[in-house]
Amino acid sequence: MRSRSVSLRGVGRLLAIVLVGAGFLAPLYWMVTMSFKPQAEWNPIGQTIWFPHHPTLDNFRNILGLTSQNTVFFQANSTDASGPIVHSLIAATGGTLIALFIGVLAAYGIARFRAGGRMLPFQILQLRMFPPVAIIIPLLIMMSYLHLVDTYPGLWLVYGAVTFPFVVWLMRSFFQDLPREIGEAAIVDGCTQWGALFKAILPNVKGGLAATALFVFILNWSDFLIALVLTQQNVVTAPVFLNSLQSAGAGQEYGPQAALGLILILPPAILGLVIQRYLVRGLTFGAIKR
Amino acid sequence: MASVRTEALTKRFGSITALRDVSLEIADGEFFAVLGPPGAGKTTLLRTIIGLETPDGGDVFVDEERITETYPGDRDIAIMFQNLALYPDKTVYGNLAFPLKQARVPRREIRRRIEETAVKLHIERLLERKPAKLSGGERQRVALGRALVREPRAMLLDEPLSALDALLRLEMRSELKRLQRDLGRTLIYVTHDQVEAMTMPDRVAVLREGEVQQVGRPEEIYHRPSSHFVASVIGSPPMNLIPAVVESANGRLRVVHDQFVVEALAPVERLSAGGSCYIGIRPEDVHLSSGEGFAGRVYATEPLGGETVVDVTIGGRIIKLITAGASGLSQDAPVRVTFDASRLHLFDADGTTVLSSAGDGSLLRVKDAGRT
Repeated sequence: MRSRSVSLRGVGRLLAIVLVGAGFLAPLYWMVTMSFKPQAEWNPIGQTIWFPHHPTLDNFRNILGLTSQNTVFFQANSTDASGPIVHSLIAATGGTLIALFIGVLAAYGIARFRAGGRMLPFQILQLRMFPPVAIIIPLLIMMSYLHLVDTYPGLWLVYGAVTFPFVVWLMRSFFQDLPREIGEAAIVDGCTQWGALFKAILPNVKGGLAATALFVFILNWSDFLIALVLTQQNVVTAPVFLNSLQSAGAGQEYGPQAALGLILILPPAILGLVIQRYLVRGLTFGAIKR
Repeated sequence: MASVRTEALTKRFGSITALRDVSLEIADGEFFAVLGPPGAGKTTLLRTIIGLETPDGGDVFVDEERITETYPGDRDIAIMFQNLALYPDKTVYGNLAFPLKQARVPRREIRRRIEETAVKLHIERLLERKPAKLSGGERQRVALGRALVREPRAMLLDEPLSALDALLRLEMRSELKRLQRDLGRTLIYVTHDQVEAMTMPDRVAVLREGEVQQVGRPEEIYHRPSSHFVASVIGSPPMNLIPAVVESANGRLRVVHDQFVVEALAPVERLSAGGSCYIGIRPEDVHLSSGEGFAGRVYATEPLGGETVVDVTIGGRIIKLITAGASGLSQDAPVRVTFDASRLHLFDADGTTVLSSAGDGSLLRVKDAGRT
């Protein structure tokens, strides 16, 4: 009796896992299959196509600008996303670097010297407590005064400002985990405060730094709202471009949208793989005796 | 190599005074220990000498050069932190090379010095390893090596042996002592271990709550402690302290306990009749006796092999004594003990030393109180 009830519970648990998993994976499945579907299979009326009948790479070719425009009905908007992908890379990388630079220094100051007092970390976090949409219009006006609308520096500044609180909070705890004496040893060994940070401390929080960089990059990479408002045509990031993938003739360009979505997963995924070795490694093994 | 001097160093953390008027003079090439219980300010003293803490008062001198405001990296003093603080990302070689690189020592010279230091510390096989792959004793040596390789004017070691297991500690103790003698380098050594403070240094300073209690050679501190605090932190098992009352008889002071009387044969200052005081005697100066002596009962025995610590109850107090070999005594056995009068100490009610006979038998006499 007992073993049966246990196995029943096991089955129930498995079922729950499968259901929840399916729920989460369904959109991904839709995107992957859609990206390989020819236009006729995108959204046929009264029909559900679970798997492409005639798989094709056309969507990817179109998105990467490898073919001339698709001419099913008439000249659609350009579906060549290679430019926007590059724009996105530049915008997200710049914003991430700014956030990291300011955030790491701020976190170190807060962790080691209690810079700004006890409340500063919380005050920095408060910056994140209202939605960016609440300030997007004032931001646009400020940026236009500064002639930074539709420019990379404009996006960099905003991305950096929006994400640096995360850097401060993440890096602060990594710095706090590292024994204070490691920095002090470097100072006694002849480093300046800056030297101690860059030569002795940062090399030992590589893991944390890598994780933080990845996190912030993903935030900046996937931003839609800020780029939508602050850019027009010189800088068009991929999420904004993705949204524009529709035409009067074809309606939503599901295929190219799915293909682009799939491609947009790649940079963070590649970045994650590259820094994986730092992510999984322990932080301070051997630094102190126990 | 250099002499180190602190002058009235005071350091406060909020309302806590970690150091109070600490004035010490450490000679060139001296092995100097700072002994004190946890929280006595030992680490703060080292951190202030090297400049990681700024004193609220007083100065630090090296070779009579005032360095109180000098940047830590420019003081040419090395420190070995209690938690070692090796650079985890660097190999042993990288750890040792780091201070030399900062000093812009040529690459070839760096290699030569590291090899020389590694041989001295028996870590030459570990140079390519990361600290995580080292044992506790090896890390200890690497941390010591990082301090040594710079050839600093003085070295500060903060409880360098505290994390090692007993056997390794014993081995490192003699090795460190030898190393210091060979190098002739000024060494300030912080410890809470009285054995280390007794066996290794030329001189010891005993610190309590940020104040220097006594400075002197270990045997001086052992035989002539300035207070019963100092007497209790050095020596193992610690000195027996027996509360007693001061009386005056025939113009002489007598210190009276239930079972025995200590008579001063010469005038004793700072004790007056009617006051209370403490009699101090180390366990090794209390002897089991077959005939005369004070009656007591065995409370417990702790055989250590070569010797045995016997706890004897005398007049309601436990007195520890050390006897050679096995005592052969069972619990509650009646015994008689005698005190070596030439090894007695008298402390006043505040614990300050009034008199230490320190081998001189003509100062005090011990008599049976005649009450049992």
